[in-house]
Amino acid sequence: MGTRIEAVSALTSRGLRKPTARRLAEAAARTCLEHARREPGDIDMLINAGIYREDNMGEPALAALIQEDIGANLGQPPIGGQGTFSFDLMNGICGVINATQLEAGLLRSGIVRLGAIVTSDVDPNLVDPRSAPFRPAGGAMLLSWDDSIAGFTDFCTETFPEYEDLFVSGLVWRERHRLHAPRQATGQSQMVIDEKPGYHDRLVDCAEEATRRFLRRLGMGIGEIDLLVPVPSFPDFLDPLKVRLGIPGDRIAYVTEDLEGAYTTGPIAALQAAVKSGRLGEARNTVMLAAGAGITVALALYRQTLP
Amino acid sequence: MTETRSKADHWLALESPNSGGHWGCRIESVGVKLPTGTLTTRNLMNQAKHRTHIQLERLTGIHERHVVGPGENSFTLAAGAARDCLTHSQHQASDIEMLISTSITRSKGRSWQSFEPPLSLYVKQAIGAAQAANFDLSNACAGMLTGVFVLQDLVTRGEISCGMAVSGEYISHLSWNAAKQIRSLFSKQLASLTLGDAGAAVIVERAPDGVPGIDVIGFTTLAEHSRLCLAFPSTVGPGAQMYTKSRALQKVAIEDMAPLVAEVIGEAGIDLADIDYLIPHQTSARAIRQGMQEFARRLGAQPKHVVVNLEEYGNTSSTTLFVALHKYLEEQRMHAGDRVMLLALASGIEIGIAVFTIDEQVDHYGHTH
Repeated sequence: MGTRIEAVSALTSRGLRKPTARRLAEAAARTCLEHARREPGDIDMLINAGIYREDNMGEPALAALIQEDIGANLGQPPIGGQGTFSFDLMNGICGVINATQLEAGLLRSGIVRLGAIVTSDVDPNLVDPRSAPFRPAGGAMLLSWDDSIAGFTDFCTETFPEYEDLFVSGLVWRERHRLHAPRQATGQSQMVIDEKPGYHDRLVDCAEEATRRFLRRLGMGIGEIDLLVPVPSFPDFLDPLKVRLGIPGDRIAYVTEDLEGAYTTGPIAALQAAVKSGRLGEARNTVMLAAGAGITVALALYRQTLP
Repeated sequence: MTETRSKADHWLALESPNSGGHWGCRIESVGVKLPTGTLTTRNLMNQAKHRTHIQLERLTGIHERHVVGPGENSFTLAAGAARDCLTHSQHQASDIEMLISTSITRSKGRSWQSFEPPLSLYVKQAIGAAQAANFDLSNACAGMLTGVFVLQDLVTRGEISCGMAVSGEYISHLSWNAAKQIRSLFSKQLASLTLGDAGAAVIVERAPDGVPGIDVIGFTTLAEHSRLCLAFPSTVGPGAQMYTKSRALQKVAIEDMAPLVAEVIGEAGIDLADIDYLIPHQTSARAIRQGMQEFARRLGAQPKHVVVNLEEYGNTSSTTLFVALHKYLEEQRMHAGDRVMLLALASGIEIGIAVFTIDEQVDHYGHTH
């Protein structure tokens, strides 16, 4: 018995009139609920693991706005009844795996019966729009308890801070010197994303090292991985990782072409491809792997069989 | 591992001994880092660009607040608080298995708000907790208590035995930005004038046998009101601007909090009168007073003491509850066996409530330390 992936949904901004971070996550959440034939009010906990937003809103948690937009347990709390608890978790591309770990724990405790994780990233008012390491996308995943499978059994997050400067992003204040600026405006905060040469190579090094350590801890060999769900999805990372781990290409869940470059949505996009192809259902042991800024590597083992 | 999986009919996401965790959990230590500078309400209002006629000190009860000086920011406050927390703790930094940074602001440098890597990575490196898993969590002013909620679940299930939630809030730039624009008492930026800077950290650990620790902790998001308080990057100066419909927010909070408090004390099997110290989110003295009157009216009881420290700190956002708790521990006002309720209120609207019992940890504070 364990935490089961009940449904996933990942989508691009295509078809959305104004693809904000909120609307992308909301659209993905609605589609995901439809797939699972669930109501928004069934969600006990909603974690948003998206990072980059068009307005860089600082508060409230974007998750609260998404909860309102999908209509999950609005209204006044009575004594008893059911509410939804929402917050944001930020750990770049590794956020979905961290959020899954938290929700899986709360599902195990019985505090949550249906957990939702949403993601989205859009252009966050970049100083240099060419520096965006991602394509706008949104995702959602529903997690529930299932007595018939082991589900998510193990998690691991490792950091390699010696490489913390290879990928940094943040908001920086810039004085405004334009003639047609609003009357009171004296500047604006803009997002800087700085990726140093060699970042991708080190991502591969760290991902390999952390994966081998994770499997060793679990007493598993590479050959026992039926499906690897890795992000980021770009070939500079996937191709060398595949070779270094010695894992055949047909055991890797690749995202579909339209979702290539999805950032925090990446793990959900790869899972969606694996669900649609039926490979997730067939795999006994699935390993989710995310490697990003920090350098941080997050891993999760998902088992379809009972322990 | 045996499973206990019957979610009781609660509005709150609620953790308690009834949740079936294998281990008890307690707040082992609390640390605070206050910035070096102070700013009185009078001096802040003197900086206002327009003549507002707002009697802010009378309205809120805030006389002064701490504000950052040169070289101080969210990161330095968080790291300072984490170090202070360790000085009150029996743990070394190397014992921390998970470190969660929970601040709204993430400044690292005077005008750089860090997104990636997460601030938690820098904090754990600064204090020597390199082995800890880390991530950032954002839940407005309820962030730190949300961190405790998350850690409590990990501890009670035995996934970790020691974790830290930390927050460094350099948030006074909202006050400066509001002071440039605010014109009257009815401005939506009024709440920004109440903010002060502080860092706080808390270690949550597996409770030793016989130690009561955290009785109940619960959270909910009243998302129908998610747009009552919004903060965005400012265009009039570095940092952010916050727009709050304060009256509406206060009305909802007063109206909806009482049944949630009833749920928590019901789960704990106690009465509100059994609470020795209630520490509410520090917004304004008047709002806190009204809230307590409503509790008394609807729940038929009052806690023995209500902690208000606004006069010298203002509203330090996500750190308020733990700055207040730390102050009372340092002043040795709390004693082993005292029952404390923490009441987080944040934009979202997020409501978080924790009830726990003070144990021998009090010996690590005040004159003995």
